[in-house]
Amino acid sequence: MIKREFKVNIKSFIIWTSILIGMFLIVFLIYPYIITDETMTSLDEMMKIFPEEVLKAFNMDIASISTAYGWLKTEGFMFVLIIIGIYSSILGSNIVLKEESDKTIEYLHSLPVKRSQIMTSKIIVAVIYIFAITLILGIFNYVALLLSGDFEHTQYILLSITPLFIGLPLFAINLFISTFLHKTRKTIGISLGLVFLFYILNVLSELSTKVEFLKYFSIYTLADTRNIITNTKLNLTFVIISLSITLIFIILSYVRYKKKELIG
Amino acid sequence: MNTVLEIKNLKKYYGNNRGIENVSLKLNKGDIYGFIGPNGAGKSTTIRTIMGLINKTAGNIYFYDKELNSDDITIKEKIGYLPSEINLYDDMTVKEILDYHESFYKKNINKKRKELSKLLKLDENKKIEDLSLGNLKKVGIVLAMMHEPELLILDEPTSGLDPIMQNIFHNILLKEKEKGTTILYSSHVLSEVSSICDKIGFIKDGVIIKEDLMENISKNNYTYLIISSKDIDDIKNDLKLKIKSDNGSEVVFINDIEINVLIKKLSKYKIDKLLIENIPLEDLFNNYYK
Repeated sequence: MIKREFKVNIKSFIIWTSILIGMFLIVFLIYPYIITDETMTSLDEMMKIFPEEVLKAFNMDIASISTAYGWLKTEGFMFVLIIIGIYSSILGSNIVLKEESDKTIEYLHSLPVKRSQIMTSKIIVAVIYIFAITLILGIFNYVALLLSGDFEHTQYILLSITPLFIGLPLFAINLFISTFLHKTRKTIGISLGLVFLFYILNVLSELSTKVEFLKYFSIYTLADTRNIITNTKLNLTFVIISLSITLIFIILSYVRYKKKELIG
Repeated sequence: MNTVLEIKNLKKYYGNNRGIENVSLKLNKGDIYGFIGPNGAGKSTTIRTIMGLINKTAGNIYFYDKELNSDDITIKEKIGYLPSEINLYDDMTVKEILDYHESFYKKNINKKRKELSKLLKLDENKKIEDLSLGNLKKVGIVLAMMHEPELLILDEPTSGLDPIMQNIFHNILLKEKEKGTTILYSSHVLSEVSSICDKIGFIKDGVIIKEDLMENISKNNYTYLIISSKDIDDIKNDLKLKIKSDNGSEVVFINDIEINVLIKKLSKYKIDKLLIENIPLEDLFNNYYK
């Protein structure tokens, strides 16, 4: 069953990984040409226009985009977090529900397997793919950074694993939501909506102390890239919260799926 | 241990909507039970509840003497299921889905798979998405039967099969029955199952309205009595039988009077035409649903 799951989901994995690698490949190839002393002066001028809160929201107050690594720490990781967030969410909402939506659940359920085994095999595959997309991108960027200049290795390694702390809970939350649905038709909207909602809440919380409390409602708070850039260490509390949310929603998904009406 | 499947007062509601109201039936080892009813009567809901795809609202389902737990692997290994609408993985070939199916069973089921594929003339090299409805049904039959289940649940198994293939399929079922396989066979056509079933249960609006042995249903005491006579009004009064049709010159009665008694009664009248015919099973079946 696990082998089949890998096969079924390999195509979307390759597509999403290619999107990320392609994006960073372009950046690494063209960055040396677009960042010159002249463009940097204009960029610095432009940065001065932005309020401090906006720069803070994109880590631009603690990192300079004068190098590819600097760009990676600011906008680059914003894209990584959003794209891996979307990928994980879509995996979560589709991987189990697809069987019902395609009506293949009637066959799968007739086999000598427990519902929990169906769930487990799909979760294993999804988690491996979320780790794999993070790892492949991490290795690709590591090699590219080695070739393109100086960078802080430990800081980069810590940064490159942060997508896991939003990807895993987003996967688990979407998996749980999917146990209330019977068709995958509406899930893409829910998955994208959740990612952007969490992301916007996180950005908003950085903009003003008045709305700082919004960070408690966003999964993206858990990808604490700011702390890694300034202190070169992971926020262990956030790591524990991320893993706990993942675990809680996975357990809830098992409980809910055990009783679910598999209408097909 | 003679009873393989027993359902007691099974009820299933989807919110306020009725799925099934009250279904009770019993299948003994080696029985072929015809589960007959029109579309929407509750056949598939009953079957899906047995299979654990949907949750029952009330009632009990027993497999042998234990409450059926559809999440129990050891029980699932003993059940074969053919849904009315077969949906398989389109990206696979027939061979791949059969291999996939085999991988779930500890015992070697390859021999039975080959035997069934040969009997049903199944082309294992075709892709699932390219199969016709009939061929898809054949794959479904092999999947349901290749692990030699003790209980076989078939929901409208012959829809899409041509008459020759239906015949082959029924012969396969009869052979399985001889080996002791118990079969629940759902259909909306009584004549389709009458030749192979031991027992028939008629379901209407979610309730089993009649259940009887096939031999009793086949040798039903009802006949069509067709009479043409000038004394027809007197005959009607005398026999007091239900009338199926009356075109003025010829009356068709639904007769349950013993033949010798009937002849004695009719001997008093001048009869122009007299015909006695068995009521076809299909008419009897339709009668239940009026």
